[in-house]
Amino acid sequence: MGNDRYNAVVVGAGPAGSTAALMMARNNLSVALIERGKYPGSKNMTGGTIASMPFQQILPEYWNIQGIPLERRIVSDELWLLDNDSAVRIGFTGKKFGMAPYNKHTILRYKFDRWYADQAVKAGAKLFTSCLAVDLVYHKTGPLSKKVDGVMLEGGDVIHADVVILAEGAQAALTQKAGLRKRLKPNEMTLYVKEVLELPAEKIEDRFNLEKDEGASIGMVGYPPSPAIGKGGIWTNRDSLSIVVGGYLNQIVGKGLNPLQLLERFKGHPLVKRLIQGAKPVKYMGHIIPKGGFKKIPTLVDDGIIVVGDAAEMISGRRGMDLAMITGKYAAEAAAQACALDRYGRDILSSYEERVKGSFFYQNMKKGKNVEVYFNKFQDADFLITKAMNDFAYKYFEQNLDTDKNNLRKMLEELINMQPLGKSAKDVLSGLQNWGVL
Amino acid sequence: MSNFNRTQRNPLELVTIIPDKKPHIFIKKDSVCAKECENKPCTYYCPSRVYYWEDDSIKVLYERCIECGACPYGCPYDNIAWQFPGGGYGVVY
Repeated sequence: MGNDRYNAVVVGAGPAGSTAALMMARNNLSVALIERGKYPGSKNMTGGTIASMPFQQILPEYWNIQGIPLERRIVSDELWLLDNDSAVRIGFTGKKFGMAPYNKHTILRYKFDRWYADQAVKAGAKLFTSCLAVDLVYHKTGPLSKKVDGVMLEGGDVIHADVVILAEGAQAALTQKAGLRKRLKPNEMTLYVKEVLELPAEKIEDRFNLEKDEGASIGMVGYPPSPAIGKGGIWTNRDSLSIVVGGYLNQIVGKGLNPLQLLERFKGHPLVKRLIQGAKPVKYMGHIIPKGGFKKIPTLVDDGIIVVGDAAEMISGRRGMDLAMITGKYAAEAAAQACALDRYGRDILSSYEERVKGSFFYQNMKKGKNVEVYFNKFQDADFLITKAMNDFAYKYFEQNLDTDKNNLRKMLEELINMQPLGKSAKDVLSGLQNWGVL
Repeated sequence: MSNFNRTQRNPLELVTIIPDKKPHIFIKKDSVCAKECENKPCTYYCPSRVYYWEDDSIKVLYERCIECGACPYGCPYDNIAWQFPGGGYGVVY
Protein backbone atom coordinates (compact mmCIF):
# COMPACT_ATOMS: atom_id res chain seq x y z
CA MET A 1 0.00 0.00 0.00
CA GLY A 2 3.05 2.25 0.37
CA ASN A 3 2.94 5.52 -1.51
CA ASP A 4 -0.44 4.84 -3.11
CA ARG A 5 -2.60 7.82 -3.91
CA TYR A 6 -6.36 8.09 -3.33
CA ASN A 7 -8.95 10.81 -3.58
CA ALA A 8 -9.57 10.36 0.12
CA VAL A 9 -8.17 8.49 3.07
CA VAL A 10 -10.38 7.92 6.09
CA VAL A 11 -8.72 7.26 9.45
CA GLY A 12 -10.88 4.95 11.55
CA ALA A 13 -13.55 2.46 10.47
CA GLY A 14 -16.22 3.26 13.04
CA PRO A 15 -19.70 4.62 12.25
CA ALA A 16 -18.32 8.02 11.14
CA GLY A 17 -15.43 6.67 9.07
CA SER A 18 -17.32 3.87 7.37
CA THR A 19 -20.17 6.24 6.51
CA ALA A 20 -17.74 8.71 4.94
CA ALA A 21 -15.99 5.91 3.03
CA LEU A 22 -19.27 4.40 1.86
CA MET A 23 -20.70 7.70 0.64
CA MET A 24 -17.50 8.73 -1.13
CA ALA A 25 -17.10 5.35 -2.81
CA ARG A 26 -20.68 5.65 -4.04
CA ASN A 27 -19.64 8.95 -5.59
CA ASN A 28 -16.87 7.10 -7.45
CA LEU A 29 -14.05 8.54 -5.38
CA SER A 30 -11.09 6.28 -4.68
CA VAL A 31 -11.09 5.73 -0.94
CA ALA A 32 -8.70 4.13 1.54
CA LEU A 33 -10.33 3.29 4.87
CA ILE A 34 -7.78 2.47 7.53
CA GLU A 35 -8.42 0.84 10.87
CA ARG A 36 -5.88 0.21 13.61
CA GLY A 37 -7.81 -2.73 15.06
CA LYS A 38 -7.65 -6.31 13.83
CA TYR A 39 -11.09 -5.70 12.37
CA PRO A 40 -13.51 -2.74 12.48
CA GLY A 41 -15.30 -2.65 15.81
CA SER A 42 -12.62 -4.56 17.67
CA LYS A 43 -11.76 -1.51 19.80
CA ASN A 44 -15.19 0.00 20.24
CA MET A 45 -17.74 0.39 22.94
CA THR A 46 -21.20 1.86 22.59
CA GLY A 47 -24.13 3.29 24.46
CA GLY A 48 -26.14 0.67 22.70
CA THR A 49 -28.44 1.96 20.00
CA ILE A 50 -28.43 3.33 16.49
CA ALA A 51 -31.30 5.61 15.58
CA SER A 52 -33.37 4.70 12.58
CA MET A 53 -34.09 8.13 11.15
CA PRO A 54 -30.47 9.29 10.88
CA PHE A 55 -29.19 5.89 9.73
CA GLN A 56 -31.79 5.80 6.99
CA GLN A 57 -30.25 8.93 5.52
CA ILE A 58 -27.38 6.65 4.59
CA LEU A 59 -28.97 3.23 4.13
CA PRO A 60 -32.75 3.53 3.57
CA GLU A 61 -34.66 0.63 5.14
CA TYR A 62 -31.39 -0.71 6.50
CA TRP A 63 -33.24 -3.41 8.45
CA ASN A 64 -33.99 -5.20 5.20
CA ILE A 65 -30.35 -5.45 4.16
CA GLN A 66 -29.11 -9.03 4.17
CA GLY A 67 -26.86 -9.91 7.08
CA ILE A 68 -27.15 -6.66 9.04
CA PRO A 69 -26.30 -7.51 12.66
CA LEU A 70 -29.13 -5.71 14.46
CA GLU A 71 -29.96 -6.93 17.94
CA ARG A 72 -33.40 -5.67 19.03
CA ARG A 73 -35.85 -2.89 18.19
CA ILE A 74 -36.23 -0.63 21.20
CA VAL A 75 -39.89 -0.25 22.13
CA SER A 76 -39.41 0.58 25.77
CA ASP A 77 -37.30 3.42 27.17
CA GLU A 78 -37.09 4.07 30.87
CA LEU A 79 -35.32 6.41 33.25
CA TRP A 80 -34.87 5.13 36.77
CA LEU A 81 -34.00 7.40 39.67
CA LEU A 82 -32.28 4.67 41.60
CA ASP A 83 -31.75 4.80 45.35
CA ASN A 84 -30.36 2.16 47.72
CA ASP A 85 -33.34 -0.21 47.60
CA SER A 86 -35.93 1.61 45.50
CA ALA A 87 -36.47 3.29 42.17
CA VAL A 88 -38.76 5.97 40.82
CA ARG A 89 -39.36 4.93 37.22
CA ILE A 90 -40.30 7.14 34.32
CA GLY A 91 -40.86 5.31 31.10
CA PHE A 92 -42.57 4.84 27.81
CA THR A 93 -43.43 1.78 25.80
CA GLY A 94 -44.68 2.23 22.26
CA LYS A 95 -45.62 -0.71 20.03
CA LYS A 96 -45.24 1.53 16.98
CA PHE A 97 -41.49 1.63 17.63
CA GLY A 98 -41.48 -2.14 17.16
CA MET A 99 -42.63 -1.82 13.55
CA ALA A 100 -40.88 -0.38 10.49
CA PRO A 101 -39.47 2.25 10.25
CA TYR A 102 -38.66 1.64 13.94
CA ASN A 103 -37.09 4.17 16.28
CA LYS A 104 -33.77 2.65 17.25
CA HIS A 105 -32.01 -0.69 17.26
CA THR A 106 -29.56 -2.06 19.76
CA ILE A 107 -26.29 -3.20 18.23
CA LEU A 108 -23.00 -4.72 19.33
CA ARG A 109 -20.14 -2.79 17.86
CA TYR A 110 -17.81 -5.74 17.30
CA LYS A 111 -20.45 -7.16 14.96
CA PHE A 112 -21.97 -4.00 13.55
CA ASP A 113 -18.81 -2.02 12.68
CA ARG A 114 -17.40 -5.00 10.85
CA TRP A 115 -20.53 -5.35 8.76
CA TYR A 116 -20.77 -1.61 8.15
CA ALA A 117 -17.17 -1.27 6.96
CA ASP A 118 -17.92 -4.16 4.63
CA GLN A 119 -20.71 -2.10 3.05
CA ALA A 120 -18.12 0.59 2.28
CA VAL A 121 -15.85 -2.08 0.78
CA LYS A 122 -18.71 -3.38 -1.37
CA ALA A 123 -19.24 0.17 -2.63
CA GLY A 124 -15.60 0.27 -3.69
CA ALA A 125 -13.59 1.55 -0.72
CA LYS A 126 -10.35 -0.20 0.13
CA LEU A 127 -10.13 -1.30 3.76
CA PHE A 128 -6.81 -1.73 5.54
CA THR A 129 -7.01 -3.32 8.99
CA SER A 130 -4.27 -3.62 11.65
CA CYS A 131 -3.15 -0.34 10.14
CA LEU A 132 -2.14 2.51 12.43
CA ALA A 133 -1.73 6.06 11.13
CA VAL A 134 0.86 7.85 13.22
CA ASP A 135 1.09 11.21 11.50
CA LEU A 136 -0.27 13.47 8.80
CA VAL A 137 1.79 14.32 5.75
CA TYR A 138 1.65 17.76 4.17
CA HIS A 139 2.14 19.16 0.71
CA LYS A 140 3.38 22.69 0.14
CA THR A 141 0.85 24.78 -1.73
CA GLY A 142 2.75 28.10 -1.60
CA PRO A 143 5.70 29.72 0.10
CA LEU A 144 3.87 29.86 3.43
CA SER A 145 0.97 27.52 2.96
CA LYS A 146 0.52 23.78 3.03
CA LYS A 147 -2.29 21.30 2.89
CA VAL A 148 -2.75 17.90 4.45
CA ASP A 149 -1.94 15.39 1.74
CA GLY A 150 -2.17 11.99 3.36
CA VAL A 151 -1.19 9.97 6.39
CA MET A 152 1.97 8.25 7.49
CA LEU A 153 1.62 4.73 8.80
CA GLU A 154 3.78 3.14 11.47
CA GLY A 155 6.81 1.82 9.67
CA GLY A 156 6.94 4.90 7.47
CA ASP A 157 4.70 4.02 4.53
CA VAL A 158 2.58 6.92 3.31
CA ILE A 159 -0.94 6.86 1.90
CA HIS A 160 -1.39 10.02 -0.13
CA ALA A 161 -4.82 11.55 -0.55
CA ASP A 162 -6.35 14.80 -1.68
CA VAL A 163 -8.57 14.82 1.39
CA VAL A 164 -7.95 13.22 4.78
CA ILE A 165 -10.99 12.52 6.91
CA LEU A 166 -10.20 11.95 10.57
CA ALA A 167 -12.72 9.59 12.12
CA GLU A 168 -10.33 8.32 14.73
CA GLY A 169 -12.66 8.41 17.70
CA ALA A 170 -12.53 9.85 21.19
CA GLN A 171 -8.77 9.81 21.70
CA ALA A 172 -8.23 11.84 18.51
CA ALA A 173 -4.43 11.62 18.39
CA LEU A 174 -4.03 13.02 14.88
CA THR A 175 -6.70 15.68 15.35
CA GLN A 176 -4.70 16.98 18.29
CA LYS A 177 -1.44 16.64 16.41
CA ALA A 178 -2.88 18.74 13.58
CA GLY A 179 -3.69 21.42 16.14
CA LEU A 180 -7.42 21.19 15.42
CA ARG A 181 -8.49 19.99 18.83
CA LYS A 182 -7.39 21.19 22.24
CA ARG A 183 -6.53 18.74 24.95
CA LEU A 184 -9.60 17.95 27.03
CA LYS A 185 -9.65 18.39 30.79
CA PRO A 186 -10.79 15.52 33.00
CA ASN A 187 -14.06 17.35 33.71
CA GLU A 188 -14.70 17.41 29.97
CA MET A 189 -14.94 13.68 29.52
CA THR A 190 -16.70 10.72 31.04
CA LEU A 191 -15.30 7.25 31.61
CA TYR A 192 -17.62 4.27 31.27
CA VAL A 193 -17.16 0.55 31.78
CA LYS A 194 -19.45 -2.08 30.39
CA GLU A 195 -20.18 -5.75 30.56
CA VAL A 196 -22.04 -7.90 28.08
CA LEU A 197 -23.89 -10.75 29.78
CA GLU A 198 -25.36 -13.68 27.89
CA LEU A 199 -28.94 -14.62 28.60
CA PRO A 200 -31.34 -16.68 26.46
CA ALA A 201 -33.71 -14.59 24.34
CA GLU A 202 -36.87 -15.99 25.98
CA LYS A 203 -35.59 -15.04 29.42
CA ILE A 204 -34.82 -11.51 28.23
CA GLU A 205 -38.31 -11.19 26.78
CA ASP A 206 -39.92 -12.47 29.98
CA ARG A 207 -37.89 -10.27 32.26
CA PHE A 208 -38.23 -7.05 30.29
CA ASN A 209 -41.81 -7.65 29.21
CA LEU A 210 -41.05 -7.85 25.51
CA GLU A 211 -42.15 -9.76 22.47
CA LYS A 212 -39.74 -11.41 20.07
CA ASP A 213 -37.20 -8.95 18.57
CA GLU A 214 -38.44 -6.12 20.80
CA GLY A 215 -35.94 -4.44 23.08
CA ALA A 216 -35.80 -2.28 26.19
CA SER A 217 -33.37 0.32 27.41
CA ILE A 218 -33.11 1.64 30.95
CA GLY A 219 -31.02 4.66 31.90
CA MET A 220 -30.36 5.15 35.60
CA VAL A 221 -29.17 8.07 37.68
CA GLY A 222 -28.40 8.41 41.37
CA TYR A 223 -27.06 5.21 42.89
CA PRO A 224 -25.10 3.64 40.00
CA PRO A 225 -22.19 6.09 39.67
CA SER A 226 -22.51 7.79 43.06
CA PRO A 227 -20.75 9.62 44.57
CA ALA A 228 -19.74 10.72 41.07
CA ILE A 229 -22.11 12.31 38.58
CA GLY A 230 -22.81 9.96 35.77
CA LYS A 231 -25.21 7.28 34.71
CA GLY A 232 -25.82 3.61 34.73
CA GLY A 233 -27.70 1.74 32.10
CA ILE A 234 -28.90 -1.63 31.00
CA TRP A 235 -30.30 -2.66 27.65
CA THR A 236 -31.22 -5.75 25.73
CA ASN A 237 -29.42 -7.35 22.83
CA ARG A 238 -30.68 -10.42 20.98
CA ASP A 239 -29.42 -12.93 23.52
CA SER A 240 -27.38 -10.80 25.83
CA LEU A 241 -27.70 -7.78 28.10
CA SER A 242 -25.37 -4.81 28.17
CA ILE A 243 -24.77 -3.06 31.45
CA VAL A 244 -22.75 0.14 31.78
CA VAL A 245 -21.81 2.59 34.47
CA GLY A 246 -19.56 5.61 34.57
CA GLY A 247 -19.25 9.29 35.11
CA TYR A 248 -17.12 12.37 34.82
CA LEU A 249 -13.43 11.48 34.95
CA ASN A 250 -12.48 14.31 37.30
CA GLN A 251 -14.96 12.98 39.84
CA ILE A 252 -13.87 9.36 39.47
CA VAL A 253 -10.30 10.51 40.06
CA GLY A 254 -11.16 13.01 42.79
CA LYS A 255 -13.49 10.75 44.72
CA GLY A 256 -11.22 7.74 44.64
CA LEU A 257 -13.48 5.51 42.58
CA ASN A 258 -12.58 2.40 40.65
CA PRO A 259 -14.87 1.95 37.63
CA LEU A 260 -14.96 -1.81 37.98
CA GLN A 261 -15.99 -1.54 41.61
CA LEU A 262 -18.79 0.81 40.54
CA LEU A 263 -19.92 -1.80 38.05
CA GLU A 264 -19.84 -4.63 40.60
CA ARG A 265 -21.78 -2.53 43.10
CA PHE A 266 -24.32 -1.55 40.42
CA LYS A 267 -24.76 -5.19 39.42
CA GLY A 268 -25.36 -6.05 43.05
CA HIS A 269 -28.19 -3.52 43.48
CA PRO A 270 -31.35 -5.44 44.46
CA LEU A 271 -33.38 -4.06 41.54
CA VAL A 272 -30.60 -4.61 39.01
CA LYS A 273 -29.56 -8.03 40.27
CA ARG A 274 -32.92 -9.52 39.35
CA LEU A 275 -32.60 -8.25 35.79
CA ILE A 276 -29.21 -9.89 35.23
CA GLN A 277 -29.78 -12.99 37.39
CA GLY A 278 -28.19 -16.05 35.80
CA ALA A 279 -26.70 -14.07 32.93
CA LYS A 280 -23.12 -14.98 32.11
CA PRO A 281 -20.56 -12.18 31.72
CA VAL A 282 -18.75 -12.59 28.39
CA LYS A 283 -17.21 -9.17 27.69
CA TYR A 284 -15.69 -6.40 29.73
CA MET A 285 -14.94 -3.03 28.14
CA GLY A 286 -14.10 0.54 29.01
CA HIS A 287 -13.98 3.82 27.14
CA ILE A 288 -14.00 7.59 27.48
CA ILE A 289 -16.60 9.86 25.89
CA PRO A 290 -15.52 13.40 24.99
CA LYS A 291 -17.91 15.79 26.74
CA GLY A 292 -16.24 19.08 25.99
CA GLY A 293 -19.58 20.18 24.59
CA PHE A 294 -20.38 23.12 22.45
CA LYS A 295 -17.60 25.37 23.69
CA LYS A 296 -14.90 22.81 22.95
CA ILE A 297 -15.91 21.72 19.46
CA PRO A 298 -12.63 21.42 17.55
CA THR A 299 -11.77 23.19 14.34
CA LEU A 300 -13.69 21.00 11.91
CA VAL A 301 -11.83 21.62 8.66
CA ASP A 302 -8.50 22.84 7.42
CA ASP A 303 -6.69 22.63 4.10
CA GLY A 304 -7.09 19.05 2.93
CA ILE A 305 -8.58 17.73 6.16
CA ILE A 306 -11.99 17.17 7.79
CA VAL A 307 -12.74 15.94 11.32
CA VAL A 308 -15.88 13.87 12.05
CA GLY A 309 -17.60 11.88 14.80
CA ASP A 310 -16.14 11.53 18.28
CA ALA A 311 -12.83 13.01 17.10
CA ALA A 312 -14.85 16.18 16.41
CA GLU A 313 -16.63 15.73 19.76
CA MET A 314 -19.96 15.32 18.07
CA ILE A 315 -21.78 14.21 21.17
CA SER A 316 -25.14 15.60 22.22
CA GLY A 317 -26.67 14.17 25.35
CA ARG A 318 -27.07 10.44 24.81
CA ARG A 319 -26.49 10.68 21.08
CA GLY A 320 -23.14 10.01 19.46
CA MET A 321 -23.23 7.22 16.88
CA ASP A 322 -25.93 8.82 14.76
CA LEU A 323 -24.13 12.16 14.85
CA ALA A 324 -21.00 10.30 13.78
CA MET A 325 -22.88 8.91 10.79
CA ILE A 326 -24.40 12.25 9.84
CA THR A 327 -21.07 14.08 10.10
CA GLY A 328 -19.45 11.27 8.10
CA LYS A 329 -22.07 11.81 5.40
CA TYR A 330 -21.59 15.59 5.36
CA ALA A 331 -17.83 15.14 5.14
CA ALA A 332 -18.18 12.73 2.22
CA GLU A 333 -20.33 15.23 0.36
CA ALA A 334 -17.86 18.05 0.99
CA ALA A 335 -15.00 15.81 -0.17
CA ALA A 336 -16.87 14.82 -3.33
CA GLN A 337 -17.52 18.47 -4.10
CA ALA A 338 -13.83 19.28 -3.54
CA CYS A 339 -12.77 16.46 -5.86
CA ALA A 340 -15.16 17.67 -8.57
CA LEU A 341 -13.57 21.12 -8.36
CA ASP A 342 -10.09 19.65 -7.83
CA ARG A 343 -9.64 22.14 -5.00
CA TYR A 344 -9.08 20.98 -1.45
CA GLY A 345 -8.60 24.18 0.51
CA ARG A 346 -10.34 25.14 3.66
CA ASP A 347 -12.62 27.48 1.71
CA ILE A 348 -14.07 24.56 -0.27
CA LEU A 349 -14.19 22.01 2.57
CA SER A 350 -15.86 24.51 4.88
CA SER A 351 -19.16 23.54 3.26
CA TYR A 352 -18.91 20.64 5.76
CA GLU A 353 -18.59 23.03 8.68
CA GLU A 354 -21.55 25.07 7.47
CA ARG A 355 -23.75 21.99 7.27
CA VAL A 356 -22.75 20.90 10.75
CA LYS A 357 -23.54 24.39 12.04
CA GLY A 358 -26.94 24.28 10.38
CA SER A 359 -27.80 20.87 11.81
CA PHE A 360 -30.31 19.97 14.52
CA PHE A 361 -27.63 18.45 16.72
CA TYR A 362 -25.51 21.60 16.61
CA GLN A 363 -28.52 23.51 17.91
CA ASN A 364 -29.01 20.88 20.60
CA MET A 365 -25.38 21.07 21.62
CA LYS A 366 -25.62 24.84 21.78
CA LYS A 367 -28.64 24.59 24.03
CA GLY A 368 -26.83 22.18 26.33
CA LYS A 369 -23.65 24.18 26.52
CA ASN A 370 -24.02 25.03 30.18
CA VAL A 371 -24.25 21.47 31.31
CA GLU A 372 -20.70 21.37 32.63
CA VAL A 373 -21.36 24.55 34.58
CA TYR A 374 -24.34 22.78 36.07
CA PHE A 375 -22.29 19.75 37.04
CA ASN A 376 -19.63 21.93 38.62
CA LYS A 377 -22.14 24.05 40.51
CA PHE A 378 -24.58 21.32 41.44
CA GLN A 379 -22.31 18.37 42.02
CA ASP A 380 -24.79 16.77 44.36
CA ALA A 381 -27.97 17.56 42.42
CA ASP A 382 -28.44 14.21 40.66
CA PHE A 383 -28.02 12.36 43.90
CA LEU A 384 -30.22 14.72 45.94
CA ILE A 385 -33.06 14.71 43.42
CA THR A 386 -32.95 10.92 43.26
CA LYS A 387 -32.93 10.64 47.03
CA ALA A 388 -35.77 13.12 47.49
CA MET A 389 -37.93 11.48 44.82
CA ASN A 390 -37.48 8.06 46.39
CA ASP A 391 -38.20 9.34 49.92
CA PHE A 392 -41.33 11.02 48.56
CA ALA A 393 -42.43 7.91 46.75
CA TYR A 394 -41.97 5.76 49.84
CA LYS A 395 -44.16 8.16 51.78
CA TYR A 396 -46.68 8.59 48.99
CA PHE A 397 -47.24 4.89 48.45
CA GLU A 398 -47.09 3.93 52.11
CA GLN A 399 -50.48 2.83 53.44
CA ASN A 400 -50.21 4.20 56.96
CA LEU A 401 -52.62 5.12 59.74
CA ASP A 402 -52.40 8.89 59.49
CA THR A 403 -54.62 11.49 57.82
CA ASP A 404 -53.80 12.64 54.29
CA LYS A 405 -53.25 16.12 55.61
CA ASN A 406 -50.68 14.96 58.16
CA ASN A 407 -48.92 12.85 55.56
CA LEU A 408 -48.53 15.79 53.25
CA ARG A 409 -47.19 17.90 56.11
CA LYS A 410 -44.64 15.18 56.97
CA MET A 411 -43.48 14.96 53.39
CA LEU A 412 -42.95 18.71 53.22
CA GLU A 413 -41.13 18.69 56.53
CA GLU A 414 -38.77 16.07 55.27
CA LEU A 415 -38.04 18.11 52.18
CA ILE A 416 -37.32 21.20 54.28
CA ASN A 417 -35.07 19.19 56.58
CA MET A 418 -32.99 17.89 53.71
CA GLN A 419 -31.65 21.28 52.72
CA PRO A 420 -32.90 24.88 52.39
CA LEU A 421 -36.03 24.91 50.26
CA GLY A 422 -34.60 27.54 47.92
CA LYS A 423 -31.63 25.31 47.17
CA SER A 424 -33.94 22.37 46.47
CA ALA A 425 -36.01 24.44 44.08
CA LYS A 426 -32.86 25.58 42.29
CA ASP A 427 -31.55 22.00 42.16
CA VAL A 428 -34.73 20.70 40.60
CA LEU A 429 -35.05 23.53 38.12
CA SER A 430 -31.45 23.41 36.92
CA GLY A 431 -31.60 19.63 36.95
CA LEU A 432 -34.61 19.61 34.65
CA GLN A 433 -33.00 22.19 32.37
CA ASN A 434 -29.71 20.39 32.11
CA TRP A 435 -31.08 16.89 31.79
CA GLY A 436 -32.69 18.19 28.64
CA VAL A 437 -36.24 17.87 29.94
CA LEU A 438 -37.09 21.58 29.77
CA MET B 1 -2.55 -8.10 40.47
CA SER B 2 -4.80 -10.74 39.01
CA ASN B 3 -7.73 -9.79 41.17
CA PHE B 4 -9.49 -6.45 41.46
CA ASN B 5 -11.75 -6.61 44.42
CA ARG B 6 -10.45 -9.68 46.23
CA THR B 7 -13.85 -11.35 46.28
CA GLN B 8 -14.60 -10.98 42.61
CA ARG B 9 -13.35 -12.58 39.47
CA ASN B 10 -10.79 -10.91 37.28
CA PRO B 11 -12.70 -9.12 34.49
CA LEU B 12 -9.70 -9.34 32.21
CA GLU B 13 -10.56 -13.01 31.80
CA LEU B 14 -13.37 -11.68 29.60
CA VAL B 15 -11.03 -9.60 27.45
CA THR B 16 -8.80 -10.65 24.57
CA ILE B 17 -5.61 -8.63 24.42
CA ILE B 18 -2.76 -9.17 21.98
CA PRO B 19 0.05 -7.22 23.63
CA ASP B 20 2.36 -5.30 21.34
CA LYS B 21 6.01 -6.30 21.64
CA LYS B 22 6.92 -2.85 22.90
CA PRO B 23 5.02 -0.84 25.51
CA HIS B 24 2.68 1.94 24.46
CA ILE B 25 2.44 3.58 27.89
CA PHE B 26 5.20 5.42 29.73
CA ILE B 27 5.55 7.36 32.94
CA LYS B 28 7.21 10.60 31.95
CA LYS B 29 9.06 11.30 35.22
CA ASP B 30 9.18 8.81 38.08
CA SER B 31 10.13 11.55 40.52
CA VAL B 32 6.76 13.27 39.97
CA CYS B 33 4.91 10.14 41.11
CA ALA B 34 7.22 9.67 44.06
CA LYS B 35 7.45 13.22 45.33
CA GLU B 36 4.47 15.21 44.08
CA CYS B 37 1.59 12.80 43.62
CA GLU B 38 -0.06 12.03 46.89
CA ASN B 39 -2.93 9.73 45.92
CA LYS B 40 -1.57 7.90 42.85
CA PRO B 41 -5.06 7.94 41.27
CA CYS B 42 -3.91 5.96 38.22
CA THR B 43 -3.79 2.94 40.52
CA TYR B 44 -7.58 3.11 40.95
CA TYR B 45 -9.27 5.00 38.10
CA CYS B 46 -7.83 2.73 35.40
CA PRO B 47 -10.61 0.22 34.57
CA SER B 48 -8.15 -2.61 33.95
CA ARG B 49 -5.60 -1.80 36.65
CA VAL B 50 -2.63 -1.21 34.42
CA TYR B 51 -0.81 0.78 37.12
CA TYR B 52 0.50 -0.20 40.50
CA TRP B 53 2.80 1.35 43.04
CA GLU B 54 5.87 -0.58 44.12
CA ASP B 55 9.37 0.31 45.26
CA ASP B 56 8.78 4.06 45.03
CA SER B 57 7.62 4.12 41.45
CA ILE B 58 4.54 3.48 39.34
CA LYS B 59 4.83 0.23 37.42
CA VAL B 60 2.96 -0.10 34.13
CA LEU B 61 1.44 -3.39 32.99
CA TYR B 62 0.69 -2.21 29.47
CA GLU B 63 -0.33 -5.76 28.52
CA ARG B 64 -3.54 -5.23 30.54
CA CYS B 65 -4.56 -2.03 28.76
CA ILE B 66 -8.06 -1.99 27.20
CA GLU B 67 -7.40 1.38 25.51
CA CYS B 68 -10.22 3.28 27.20
CA GLY B 69 -8.22 6.48 26.76
CA ALA B 70 -8.68 7.86 30.28
CA CYS B 71 -5.23 7.62 31.83
CA PRO B 72 -3.38 10.52 30.22
CA TYR B 73 -6.29 12.84 31.12
CA GLY B 74 -6.91 11.52 34.61
CA CYS B 75 -3.31 11.92 35.78
CA PRO B 76 -3.27 15.15 37.81
CA TYR B 77 0.35 15.80 36.81
CA ASP B 78 0.03 14.98 33.11
CA ASN B 79 2.74 12.42 33.76
CA ILE B 80 1.43 9.55 31.63
CA ALA B 81 2.42 9.31 27.97
CA TRP B 82 -0.07 7.07 26.22
CA GLN B 83 -0.21 6.21 22.54
CA PHE B 84 -2.03 3.61 20.48
CA PRO B 85 -0.44 0.18 20.44
CA GLY B 86 0.75 -0.94 17.02
CA GLY B 87 -1.83 -1.80 14.36
CA GLY B 88 -3.56 -5.10 15.10
CA TYR B 89 -2.24 -5.23 18.66
CA GLY B 90 -3.95 -4.46 21.92
CA VAL B 91 -7.54 -5.13 22.87
CA VAL B 92 -9.81 -7.15 20.55
CA TYR B 93 -13.46 -7.02 21.62
